[in-house]
Amino acid sequence: MTGYAVVLASGELERVQAVSMISSIAASSDIPVEVFVTMNGLSAFEKDRIESGDFQVAGPAGEAMLHSGGDEVPMFFEQLERAKGIGPLEVYACEMVMDLMDTDLDDYIDIFDDTLGVAGFLNRASDKQVIFV
Amino acid sequence: MSDTPTPDVEIDSRGATCPGPLMDLIGKVKEVEAGTTIELLTSDEGSKNDVPEWLDEAGHELLTIEAVDDHWAIYVETT
Repeated sequence: MTGYAVVLASGELERVQAVSMISSIAASSDIPVEVFVTMNGLSAFEKDRIESGDFQVAGPAGEAMLHSGGDEVPMFFEQLERAKGIGPLEVYACEMVMDLMDTDLDDYIDIFDDTLGVAGFLNRASDKQVIFV
Repeated sequence: MSDTPTPDVEIDSRGATCPGPLMDLIGKVKEVEAGTTIELLTSDEGSKNDVPEWLDEAGHELLTIEAVDDHWAIYVETT
């Protein structure tokens, strides 16, 4: 196993959570993971959104995560931060979308290793199984 | 005389949903020496079923799983 290259192109909480769960457990198990956050996926990582908890949800699973009734649901940014301290997990923000949105890394929570373009992602994904979410 | 293993380390992940308990376990497994017995407490049924899958792949030994009131106690020996 040479690892996973995960493309997160959605800001829907359900998809972002699924990516963080799979990536975090894999990396914590010493399987290298590169997460490339692009398109609306970046919106989930905005500082203001994280602070307000105003996440885009697609349906009942997302609603249940936000209103879990006492159960402690580890949020995606907590999972990713923790996993980065345990195993080989790198998270990259898409340069193209940041240019379009006129944002920089300071607008997002401190989870990204760097920004990356398509060529850079493809280089890192060349020996990995690609998962597109 | 109980067959319940005597843990060297206890992790209380009750109240946390997937993948919290598994992340707690993995983090602890990486800290301790081989031969350490860990007791993981979880109230998450999904984790109760998923932890053995991870142990099987990672090569650590599942000693036993005990149902205790509203949660489970999973006993693991690191290799």
